[in-house]
Amino acid sequence: MFDNDFIALLPEMFLINATILLLIYGVVYSTVHKVFEPLVRNVAWLGFSSILITLILLRGSPLTTANLCYNNLIIDNFTYFFKVGLLLSTACIILMSLQYFQQEALTAFESIVLMLMSTCSMLLMISAYDLIAMYLAIELQSLSFYVIAASKRNSEFSTEAGLKYFILGAFSSGILLFGCSMIYGFTGVTNLEELAKIFTAPYVLRPLSDSVMLNSADASWSGVFMGILFIAVGFLFKITAVPFHMWAPDVYEGSPTYVTAFFSIAPKIAIFANMLRVFIYSFYDPTWQQLFVFCSIASMVLGAFAALSQNKVKRLLAYSSIGHVGYLLIGFSCGTIEGIQSLLIGLFIYVLMTINIFAIVLALRKNRFKYISDLGALAKTNPILAITISITMFSYAGIPPLAGFCSKFYLFFAALGCGAYLLAFIGILTSVISCFYYIRFVKIMYFDTPKTWILYKPMDREKSILLGITLLGITFFFLNPSPLFLVTHQMALSLCI
Amino acid sequence: MLQNINPFYSSLSLSALILFPLLGGLFVSFITESKIRTIRIVGLCTSFITFLYSLFFWLEFDNSTPKFQFVETIQWLPYSNINFVLGLDGISLFFVILTTFLVPICLLVGWSSIQKSKKEYIIAFLVLESLMIAVFCMLDLLLFYVFFESVLIPMFIIIGVWGSRQRKIQAAYQFFLYTLFGSLFMLLAILLIFFQTGTTDLQILLTTEFSERRQILLWIAFFASFAVKVPMVPVHIWLPEAHVEAPTAGSVILAGILLKLGTYGFLRFSIPMFPEATLYFTPFIYTLSVIAIIYTSLTTIRQIDLKKIIAYSSVAHMNFVTIGMFSLNMQGIEGSILLMLSHGLVSSALFLCVGALYDRHKTRLVRYYGGLAQTMPIFSVIFLFFTLANMSLPGTSSFIGEFLILVGAFQRNTLIATLAALGMILGAAYSLWLYNRVVFGNFQPNFINKFSDLNRREVFIFLPFILGVIWMGVYPEVFLESMHTSVSNLIQHGKFY
Repeated sequence: MFDNDFIALLPEMFLINATILLLIYGVVYSTVHKVFEPLVRNVAWLGFSSILITLILLRGSPLTTANLCYNNLIIDNFTYFFKVGLLLSTACIILMSLQYFQQEALTAFESIVLMLMSTCSMLLMISAYDLIAMYLAIELQSLSFYVIAASKRNSEFSTEAGLKYFILGAFSSGILLFGCSMIYGFTGVTNLEELAKIFTAPYVLRPLSDSVMLNSADASWSGVFMGILFIAVGFLFKITAVPFHMWAPDVYEGSPTYVTAFFSIAPKIAIFANMLRVFIYSFYDPTWQQLFVFCSIASMVLGAFAALSQNKVKRLLAYSSIGHVGYLLIGFSCGTIEGIQSLLIGLFIYVLMTINIFAIVLALRKNRFKYISDLGALAKTNPILAITISITMFSYAGIPPLAGFCSKFYLFFAALGCGAYLLAFIGILTSVISCFYYIRFVKIMYFDTPKTWILYKPMDREKSILLGITLLGITFFFLNPSPLFLVTHQMALSLCI
Repeated sequence: MLQNINPFYSSLSLSALILFPLLGGLFVSFITESKIRTIRIVGLCTSFITFLYSLFFWLEFDNSTPKFQFVETIQWLPYSNINFVLGLDGISLFFVILTTFLVPICLLVGWSSIQKSKKEYIIAFLVLESLMIAVFCMLDLLLFYVFFESVLIPMFIIIGVWGSRQRKIQAAYQFFLYTLFGSLFMLLAILLIFFQTGTTDLQILLTTEFSERRQILLWIAFFASFAVKVPMVPVHIWLPEAHVEAPTAGSVILAGILLKLGTYGFLRFSIPMFPEATLYFTPFIYTLSVIAIIYTSLTTIRQIDLKKIIAYSSVAHMNFVTIGMFSLNMQGIEGSILLMLSHGLVSSALFLCVGALYDRHKTRLVRYYGGLAQTMPIFSVIFLFFTLANMSLPGTSSFIGEFLILVGAFQRNTLIATLAALGMILGAAYSLWLYNRVVFGNFQPNFINKFSDLNRREVFIFLPFILGVIWMGVYPEVFLESMHTSVSNLIQHGKFY
């Protein structure tokens, strides 16, 4: 029974080993010389390569569907594509952060190691098939995050961010665990498959007979519902949905920028994967749908309004990602196959756009890109970067024919398809409102004259490649969207069946 | 990827017509800005070749069939039955030709008056031309919407970058947000249609019958989007702002093509797909249009800015068009299409006249001009010709259009026709008063004392307009004969007789 486990878990095991080896490498070389300049760069490139090798191992895995480790982990089409997405985005983020280390002359290679460690845990989180395995993976990921959020040691902002994230994150993890324990208490199982068998049965059999109801669990039982509620709260905190979003702007702003990029992209992928599996596979019931509808509406509204008054870039991006999570939750709260598919499409396009915008924020760092008005007259100094920012901002706003429009269109289609007319309506209203601050970027770049002269330092090659690829994706996604639609349809089907 | 799933049986290809300006723009973007003359010549040749190519579509157009011609289908999302379906019929043929006619003029206008970002100007107009031709050819509802919205982006940039004064930013914002807000409702309606029927192909949707309640809902949503574009009172405020602040060529395109998008949408989508709702809302449209005509004509008399006067007269003309269109008979609809084409020529020419004045004296206030007949005689003649055309003098194209519209409206509702004719009288009032103040009378030597008449380039720009207006006014049958079958098919289809 162990043979399949090792073969199937080879990518994760390789990544964990690589992480530990990189840690040892870093420790050894940081004490060999007084100051080993290229250490962080070495560790970063080695980390990047190990992620790519993990990707190759994942791609070449002989198993496509398996239950592993006594039903604690699962791999299927759903997890496969999610892991591919996660690994690619982590690789992109490590590429983006290379110049940051060089500019700051950081010798702390631990950030890379912690990022890799959280990537391992996120890989396990995506495959999690048991509430306990899920919780363990979430904890490992969160702990790594708490540390790298505070990693800029000479900045009080960063320490504050790490502390806030730690306290609130630990609290929410506690709530998540409490919810898991309540589910265990009321049903006696923690395996998601067993929970699915328990919870789906009455939903299907209810029209048949009344006596069935007395004996089986129902999600509207108060105890079980409390457990589901607690688990949902824990998850919603992690993806920064309203009303559990308060930590996001402060933590995003205080952390070092490459960490913010990591925060915006990677946990959302992994936690959404986990949420989909827990809620749509195990607890399929319309009871918790109302909770997610409320959170979706609140996130969209807050993301639209709160970002209107922001002056700082990273806070604005934090609020815009809160708004985007609202849109993704539209797809989530539908509960239909189109809903899941629209969430996955929206998620992948969100990752594309976020990688783009954070690469730009990192590229402009040396010219002090802290406030939005620092972008003034960028169209004159660096016209291509100005066009890139414009296109990404228009895509965030959902203007055709860019990629963001395709994701929003499918999300609204899924909402209308399952009868959630209110969600779609509020979605389009908040789209228009959020359009205002996205266009503000374009306005400042093209139409404003700055008070001081802006100097321009060129960005490094890795970021240019990343920006080029993501810009190409955003602009020309519209011409050929079918591959992504087909892939996500596959993923949605393999989740539900 | 982009596979044609129907072999095209005509040697003319609409996708080539759409792609050619885009390729021209791409080619231009690689030439350095120092060779500005080359860039301008390449851009001009591209747009001119596109114009000639579109004339071939007119030559090979078959007048005897109401079916869509030059149809091409390119796959987009195969599993959702949404594809790029391109086609022309009698209604859209002339809009395509109008578009390709106006863009070379715009490029010529900017030949010496644009001083900054000259290359981007050419690229923006070529991209805009592509998108506009795509709007008129697209026979798929969702993709029509995509291109309908995507003309916002280049237009926003054109107004904002090359506009004349600081208020341009507000104007660009207003233009963008007004149009976006209206069209998001249309997106919901399209998604609802897609969910109900499973397709967004117009040729299939023309055969589906929606229930009357659903038709009314969908019609209102479509109306929200098209009414902003037409523009109808009370969402017409963006038009004077956008026209005044835009550069001359921007105003030409805005008045010439972008206003027609709204009424084209009514004609192509609202009226054929929702016939019962159209009949239900006809009195509503009549009321709004008549209010708009009289209100804007009266407002025009009070204006002091040359461009605002012509912008408001555009609003009045477009509401004339909607009166004609919603009379739902042959004369009304053909008159409305002819008035749209004529307005495209006349309004654009008037904006060109005002642009000529602005280039020389950098002011648009009527107060500062006077006695131009003595110093700019050629300009005075051309301006007189287009002022008379704006007033719908018999012999010019707008007379034919307005006459047919009044005939059509009179058959439906004599009161509306009377009030609309009253609007014509007011039109004569403001046009003649404007002309008198600017061209006749005394000099204003306190303000302007150096004069130069139109140079050869500008006279050559006006000649095609004069030719078009006279041709359409004296022998419109050449244009009308291509419309007969399509329009009568529209009326038969909706059973409007």
